[in-house]
Order: sequence, then structure tokens, then C-alpha cells
Amino acid sequence: MSQELVTLTIDGREVSVPKGTTIIEAAKQIGTRVPHYCYHPGLSSPAMCRLCLVEVGGAPKPMPSCVTTVAEGQVVKTESERALWGRRGVLEFYLVNHPLDCPICDASGACDLQDHVHAEGREHGRSYEPKRVFGRDDFGGDVLFYGDRCVMCTRCVRFMSEVEQEDRLTVVDRGARSIIDTFYEEGLEGTYWHGNIVDVCPVGALLSKDFLHKARAWDLEHTPSICPNCSQGCNIDLHTRDNLVQRIKPRENLDVNAWWMCDYGRLEYEWINRGDRLEAPLVRGGSTASRAAGWSDALSGVLERARGAGNASVKAVAWPFASNEDLAALAALVDRLGGGEIVYRSARAAEERVLKGFPTLARRRDLAANRVGADLMGMERVGGDDASGGLDAVAAHDGIVLVLGDALADQSPDFGGYAALYVYLGTHDAPAAAHADFVLPVTTFAEQEGTFTNLQGRVQRFWPAMAPPGMARPAWLVLGALVAELTGAPAPRSAAEAFARLGQRVPAFGGIGYAELSARGALVNQTVSLAGD
Amino acid sequence: MAYPYVSEREVRVISRYFGDPAARRIDTYVDRGGYGALRKAFGMGPDEVTDLVKASGLRGRGGAGFPTGVKWSFMPKEVRRPHYLLCNADESEPGTFKDRELMRWDPHQLVEGCLIAAYAIRASHVYIYCRGEFFEANQVLARAVEGAYEKGYAGKDILGSGNDIEVTVHQGAGAYICGEETGMMSSLEGRRGLPWVKPPFPAAAGAFGMPSTINNVETLSAVPHILANGSDWYRRWGTELSPGTKLFCVSGHVNKPGNYELPLGFPLAELIDDVCGGVRDGNALKAVIPGGSSVPIINAEEARACRLDYEGCVEVGTMLGCASVIVMDETTDMVKQVRRMVDFYAHESCGQCTPCREGSAWTAQIMRRIEDGDGSEEDLDTLMHMTQQMVGTTICVLSDSVAAPVQSSILKFRHDYLALMRRRETAGVA
Amino acid sequence: MSEVPFRNPGWAGNTGDFDLTEDQVRGDDFVGRRPKHGGHAAVAGTMPYMLTGRDAEGALFQGEYEERFNKILTRYPTKRAALLPALALAQEIRGHVSPEAMDRVAELLELSPAYVRGVATFYTMYNKRPVGRHLVQVCTNISCNLCGADEVLEAFLTHTGTEQGETSADGEFTVVEAECLAACGFPTCVQINSRYYENVTPEDVPKILDHLRTRGD
Repeated sequence: MSQELVTLTIDGREVSVPKGTTIIEAAKQIGTRVPHYCYHPGLSSPAMCRLCLVEVGGAPKPMPSCVTTVAEGQVVKTESERALWGRRGVLEFYLVNHPLDCPICDASGACDLQDHVHAEGREHGRSYEPKRVFGRDDFGGDVLFYGDRCVMCTRCVRFMSEVEQEDRLTVVDRGARSIIDTFYEEGLEGTYWHGNIVDVCPVGALLSKDFLHKARAWDLEHTPSICPNCSQGCNIDLHTRDNLVQRIKPRENLDVNAWWMCDYGRLEYEWINRGDRLEAPLVRGGSTASRAAGWSDALSGVLERARGAGNASVKAVAWPFASNEDLAALAALVDRLGGGEIVYRSARAAEERVLKGFPTLARRRDLAANRVGADLMGMERVGGDDASGGLDAVAAHDGIVLVLGDALADQSPDFGGYAALYVYLGTHDAPAAAHADFVLPVTTFAEQEGTFTNLQGRVQRFWPAMAPPGMARPAWLVLGALVAELTGAPAPRSAAEAFARLGQRVPAFGGIGYAELSARGALVNQTVSLAGD
Repeated sequence: MAYPYVSEREVRVISRYFGDPAARRIDTYVDRGGYGALRKAFGMGPDEVTDLVKASGLRGRGGAGFPTGVKWSFMPKEVRRPHYLLCNADESEPGTFKDRELMRWDPHQLVEGCLIAAYAIRASHVYIYCRGEFFEANQVLARAVEGAYEKGYAGKDILGSGNDIEVTVHQGAGAYICGEETGMMSSLEGRRGLPWVKPPFPAAAGAFGMPSTINNVETLSAVPHILANGSDWYRRWGTELSPGTKLFCVSGHVNKPGNYELPLGFPLAELIDDVCGGVRDGNALKAVIPGGSSVPIINAEEARACRLDYEGCVEVGTMLGCASVIVMDETTDMVKQVRRMVDFYAHESCGQCTPCREGSAWTAQIMRRIEDGDGSEEDLDTLMHMTQQMVGTTICVLSDSVAAPVQSSILKFRHDYLALMRRRETAGVA
Repeated sequence: MSEVPFRNPGWAGNTGDFDLTEDQVRGDDFVGRRPKHGGHAAVAGTMPYMLTGRDAEGALFQGEYEERFNKILTRYPTKRAALLPALALAQEIRGHVSPEAMDRVAELLELSPAYVRGVATFYTMYNKRPVGRHLVQVCTNISCNLCGADEVLEAFLTHTGTEQGETSADGEFTVVEAECLAACGFPTCVQINSRYYENVTPEDVPKILDHLRTRGD
């Protein structure tokens, strides 16, 4: 598909872009970032912050690059004296009433105002006048509004109006008295995407209550990951400090979630930080007390019992928060042990919540990231929408019982009591693992490399953001070692290898490698129904 | 009749019936030849009408002075989507009071002008956006529009011509920024009156996204006369580049303030001394703002040299704007008046663009502090430099309008500012 | 329109040359009671604005007011565009635009209440709180300022016993500064409810206030 291209010069460098591209976007393509506030690629462009001013040859005054489209032969200077004069002036105006309370502002260190003023602003302020005060306003939901810090870019108003399409925010009054507010006390209750306004706010005016005064932006490590909380598979960054997730932010992916994520997924991270983790393999065997063991001992023990179980059939329980690699290794092990059923339970919400302004994005009914991965590998969903039930056959099975990840919260402590071999792999100990012969500690998705498959059939990579506790290891590594012992073939030494093995076994995953997936993901080789059950 | 102030030097084209209550009646208007121009226009093609107005050289009387016929010619010649004519009756520029008088004395002239303009640009609907405070004028205009509908001059199949043109009187709600053409369209659409970025221009995407033209009340009031009498007739008055007559609103320290319709190019000195009976109480002239508060202030010397047309004002370093002549005599406290003007802009700024939102309020704060005797020369430097950052950096020119009085008064009346600072020093305030 | 016992509100000038009466200038047959149902739809959006006989609890858009509201809706291609006339109509009925009125207008025009609040607070003329029976708006902008507007404002504040924006104890008057009212040739101009009073001097103020206290509307 050919588009008419326009060639222009930006800061002495030639660039060719499709006709209709704005100067600010054209500049991005050569790595030039023009400072701006009100512009956002996912929202309308009101050109009102006046910060993105650049010098355009032939124009008598500096032009806003967010709405000025490229023209053939145009000469643009983003750092000429004129452009810098324009932006320096605008930045001065921003600081006239700004409280400069960086020492107590959560945005500090991740603040566009700090960055731009530091780079291009005046060294000293010239205002001796008292500053305007608006105070702090609770907008409801997870959002606090510090009016004094607001730069009136109206990104928040436009996000709610254009993207969530719930017109809850507005600008009230006029001129220097104007400020953002809701309809009196109505607030943001009952909206499902308002967390995004904290992301788009370029300063610390809109803050998350959940994150308030928790950690400094510069102390946080950002790790690219995939939201585990529903099957949409929003691309995210996990922000961690002290080996704990402090908050989740969306990561841009125009094929999946654009720049957004829902409030449910964003705030549902405490489970990743749960303490009281399994830290060592436990040899439990019946009702005697567990003893901790090393991996070699534990795995040898499992193999011995497995070989001793002869032709016993296998019933396994997986969970949809496990990665493709983990699930693949489980399937391979079940296969090697003579075959058997693998089931999983998965919570489902009553309804989807679609983001009207970007309707391929929704908080899906399936409240786990990898339901589709499990389905593609032939695993069967059982139980109710509350993720309980469906395990009667497994609970009473007298062959080999394998459980990966599922907390079995609704099952009795007698679970697996008749099994010839019952291995429980999980992050936490469980009452229903009382009869497990071996309890093996595994990692959460946040502590390992791997992939999830979302409801579009898109395989997406995530990276480890935290160190696993104690001796916990990724499930694909543990299960892969067991398979290797049973087959005599070498075990996968990396998640990439584990994924490649999956591709060899399951055609849907064939021909895709980690290199192709990179940070954007790729679709599986088969159509995935979006409707679900 | 004796409208309060008349001068024999006037050329009363559009203000002829100021002070005549009978002019409000549609019967009187028709008896005096009203709506004849509309009939004539219908007998010409729309583009012919536009060419006639272009030939007359009529320039927008709302302040920008853009040639009206040229503006009309920007509209699409084919009607693929509804075209709109918007009459800007949101007169709010300090010093300006001509549109209100036009609306309340001779409303039919305006309505006829709107209908002719609508025909020329192939518009199906005229919105007259009236300032909300003009209750009396709006109701006079409302009766005029009702009369036009009754007599078949507006609505469907006007005068059997096959042309359908609706007229709606829309009332504003108190915002100076809604006198800016895109602010007005925004307000008409039921939004906050925030000006829009141009391009796109109104003729391409205006009110409701449709091709639109915005004209001032005075501009449209002249249209029937140009249609009736021709472009050469209109060019009898004024200058080559600024033809025709203009309503000059004179206010402030003159003996006879009021509206005077004079040929463009009229010398400002004669306007003050002859037409308006001179500066009050025989005081000396100190300063004049010739075009409403948004144009630079000129001192007495510049005023004496000033010719009141678009080019003549530029020559003395100011602009004609809407020709609202504010006269200030020697008793004027210049700092106080500039402070009051800046307060006005700070109050009326829509708040979109940062330089205007923050800059207008900051300028007002500094001006108040100087007026209270707590200013310094450093403040004057800050004002000059900082207001320059407000020029050319915003979506509309309200921001530039803050700079005009501030910079011109500091440059030409610096002693007024310094006097306040010395007063403070002599008062012994630390 | 009653006889006003003081010189000259309305048409201008201190010259005494003008030979019309106020009635003739104001044209009571033109200006006065607009019909509640709005008259012709083309002009249904114009309104008397501030009636002294307003009812703060008045039902919004019923009867003739509903007729007018529906006429207004026919004049615009979108429902949103009827917002300013609708708010003005709500204010005509109740004297100010309350959150409840905003909510009701939002409902009728299929807009969000927050959006309506944003628009209502942008414009000066929508009273966000109840005001006195007579809203006195004194222009203090440059042309009137040059001719003593500050003294006129001061006189109104003194004689009503109020601070700017406050309502007097008897509920009769609220006095505020206004921006240019476009009567610059006739300083000082004061707008009281829907009427312009021009050429007002501080001496006129007590007489005007007495007249307002006794006048109906």
C-alpha cells in the first residue's frame, strides 16, 4: 500500500513521511522529541499548551508542531533561537503559579515539567506575586487531584470524554481561574479506566491513591511484562522496588491495548507480592511432617515414585496464570507419564468492559492471562465462573495427580489422598496439598521469563521483574528436568528453548521464535475465537 | 429627530435612522425602500453579489479589516453540505458601542444584510450571535426577525425566489472571547467558547463542521446599501485601500461622545476637536486609543498625525481595529487605566493557552502592585519582556491584546509609572 | 413602563437636545414582555433574563416554557447547541443555574452533567448562586472608568450596604462590577437585571435604588 510521501528537513536532517503527518510525529522518527503537554497520539490535538512551538521556515511566528502538518521542502528547526525563545517563554508561564512542591510530589523524577524546565527553561523565576491555590480534591476511584500542580493540558478531560466516553471531567470557570473538576461530588465512581488519567497527566496533578507516597520514581525499576489479570494481555511495565511490585503502568502496543489499561488490572497486583512463599522443595509423603529437600533429592524422589507407579494414569490440574512454557512442560510430562487429562479452573466476570474509544481493548470476562494458551494445548476448562469445583475426578484419583499453580482453595484437605503419586507445584502451600508427596516451589510470572497467549491468539513475552524467593524455580525448568530424565534428551536451558519445544509439539505455536516475538508479540498459526465459551 | 450627537460632517449611510423609533417598524423600513436590495440580489447570481461587494472594497468592520467580498469568495461554490452565515453581534471590545446602536435603531437593515450575504455564500441558515447583555437590542432585533418571517422576507421560498434562508437569533451568555470568530462558533455549538486552531478555516470547516462565514454587524449593515447603490457609489468615500464610511465610537474625555459615521481616512484630530467638540473642560489631550482597548495607545502628537483608516493607523504605530476612539486627557491616571484593561483581559481570557492564561493574570498582578505604589523599574522590564512572550504564541490574539496597552504605555508614558514608584519612596515605605 | 423620577436612563447624553421620551426610546411595544412560549421559533432563544418575579423552585420547562424549549431545539442541527439557550431559560425561571438545573438540562439534551457544568461556569451571565431581586452590574471598564465609574460603583455599594458580589440583607440588591456593556458614549453605564441605565452619576444612585425597591417587573 503506497502513501504519498513528503520530504522535509528537520534540524538539518532530511526525513520522508506520509502526507498529513504532523511535524511532531515526523520529528519523532528521527529521534527528536519536541517538548509538549496537551498532545498525545491517542487523543485529539487542541494545540493549547503552546509548548511544542518550533520554527518553520517562512512562518512569521513559531508554529505548534502537534497540528502543523508537513509540507514538501519545509525547513523546520526545533532548537533554533526562535524555537527555544518560544518554549522558554511558555515554560516560564507554567512556573508562575506552580507550587514547586517536588519534595512531596509523587511525580518527581517522572515529571515532564521538571524535565522540560531543566532542559529549556529560565534559570530564575521573575514573579514576585502570590500563587494561586486550588487545594487537593478527591475525584473518587483511585484518583487524587492536586489542583495547584495542574498545567491545564486537559489530557484527562479528553481521555474520559474521547476514550472511555464517560464525560466525567470538565474544566470549570475561565481564564486563570479555570481548573479541572467533576460534576460536583459525582466524581469518577463507576468508571473503569480512570487510572489512565494518572498516566497521561504530565505532572503530579493527578495521582494514584494506591501509590501515594509509596516510592520515589527514580528508585523504581521498570520491567516490560504482560498484565496477568485477564485474557486481553495488555502490555505493561512492572515498577518494582525492594523486590516488590509498587505499581503497574501500561506499555504502548497499538495491536493490543494502545496506551491504556483498565483499573482492575492495574490495581490487582498485591497477589504478586504475597509473602509466605514456598521457598524450598518439600518431601511430604502422607501425614508425617514435611521435610525440606534440595532439588536433586526432590526430583529424584518424584521420578522414583513415578516409575514405581507403573501404568497409573495421570490427572493434572493446571492454572491459567502459568506461562505457555510452564503449561507446555506440564503437557510434555503428562505425555511422558503415559498420557492423561489436564484440566484448569478460571474465574470469569459477568461481563466484559469495553473501552469504547478503542473497542478492541476490554477488561475481558476471563480473569487470567493465559486461558487461551491452556486451550491451545488441549487443556480443558472445568468448574464454575468463580473458579471453583470441577475437580471431583482428580481429587479421588488413584493414579498420578499433578497440580500446577492452582491454590485448590475450595478443595478439602483430603484432595489426592488416594493418589499413587501426588505432586503439587505452586507458589504457596495449600491445605489441599496436605496429601501431596512432593511440594515444589515455583515462580510467579513476575519472577521468570516467558510468554502468555491472549484472546486474539497473540503470543507476548514478559521478562522477570523480581528475584524468586529461596529455591523457587520456573515451572518449565522443573517440569522440563523431569521430562529430560524420563526421555534421556537434554532439558531446555532457557525459556526460549522451552518455547521452541512447544512449537514442535503444538502446531499453533510452530514457527514463532522469541526473536520474532520481541516486544510486540505475534499471532499463533490458527484463528482463535474471541467469544470464549 | 435629534439623536444626541450629530455632526454635519457625518455621512450617515447606515446610521441615518439612529434616534428614529419609527425605523424599528418593518412597514417603515419597507416604505423607505427596505428589502429592495434583497430583491435586487436575488436577481443576480450569488457570485455576482460577491463580486459586487468585492469591488466596493468593503472591509470587515469588526476589527480585523479583512476584505468582505474576498472572505465570501472563500466559500465553496457548490453546496455539498449546509453553509452557514454567522453575524457577529457579540460586541464586547471596550470602547465599542456601535453594533448595539445599529441593532436597536435599524434592525431591519441588519437582517436584510444578513439575508443578502447568506444568498451570496449559498447559506441556508443565518445565526445572529447576539451578546447576552443586550436585552433591549436583542428584543428589537427579535421583533424585526419575526416581522421578516411574517412578511415573507425570511424562511422558505423568500419573495417567491425559490431561496430558503432561515434566521435564528442566538443569545450569548457573557464572554468577550465569543466575539472571536472561532470562539463564537464554539459557543454556538453549545460548548465553552474556546477558539479553534486555524487551519482549518471557517469556510472549509466552521460551525458544526460546515462551511461558514462570519461577518460583523456593521459590515452586514452596509451590504444592502452597496447592493442598492453599487460599488462605485460606496467608493465615493474613504480611501483607495479603505473605502466607505465607518461608525466611529468616541468615548472618554470629549465633550460630545457618541457614534459618528464618517468617511474612512478622516483625521483623528478633527474628529476630536471638531466633530466631538474638543477635549472636555478645555483640558490638554494626553493619549488616544483609536481602535478599542486591544490596539496600542498613541500619545497626543501621534494622535494629531493620525489618519483614521486601516493604513493610516499603522503608520503611527497602532491599528484601526473597530474604530473605537477612547480619548484621554491630562487628568488620566495611565497606570490605572492600563491596569483596568489588563484586568479585563485576565477576566475574559478563555484559559486554553498557557501564555494568555498565566500571562494575563500575572500582568494584572504586577500592574496592581505598581498602581498600589509597590512597583519598581525591574517590573517594567519584566512587563515588556514577559508580554512579548505573549505575542504570536497563542491560538487567538487576546494574548497579543494584553501586550498592546502595556507595552505602548510603558514606552510612551513611562513617567506615569515612575511617578508611582517615587511616590512610594517619598512616602518612606520600605 | 413607569415614569422614572430621575434623569435619563437609556438613550444618552447630558445635552438635553434629545427630544424623545424614554418610552419612545425603549419602545415598550418592542421591549417588555416577550411571550413565555417564545414567539416565533427563530427568536425563541432570546429572553427577558432576569425577572424580579422569579421562582427559585420553579418547575423547569413545563407548560409554555416547555413549548419554548422545544422551539429552541428545532433551530440547531445538534442538541448540544441548544445548551446556552436552555441554561438561559432555566435561569429565567429560577434566577440562577443550580446543580439541579444543570443535571436536568443535561438529561434533556443528552449531555453529561459534568459537561454542562463546564459550559455553565465558563459564561459570566449564568449566576451560579442566587442573587438579589435586582442584580446591579456597574461597568468600570476604561471608557466609563475615565468618567468616574469607580465612584458610581462605590455609591451603589455604600447605599446598598454590600460588598461586591454579596446580596443585601433584605434580598433586594447584589452589586457587581461588569465589563464593557457597549454604551461607552453614555458613561457610566449600569445594567440592572435586563435594563440599561446610562449616564449614571453617584448622585443618581439613591434615587435609582428607591425606584427599584418599589418597582415590580
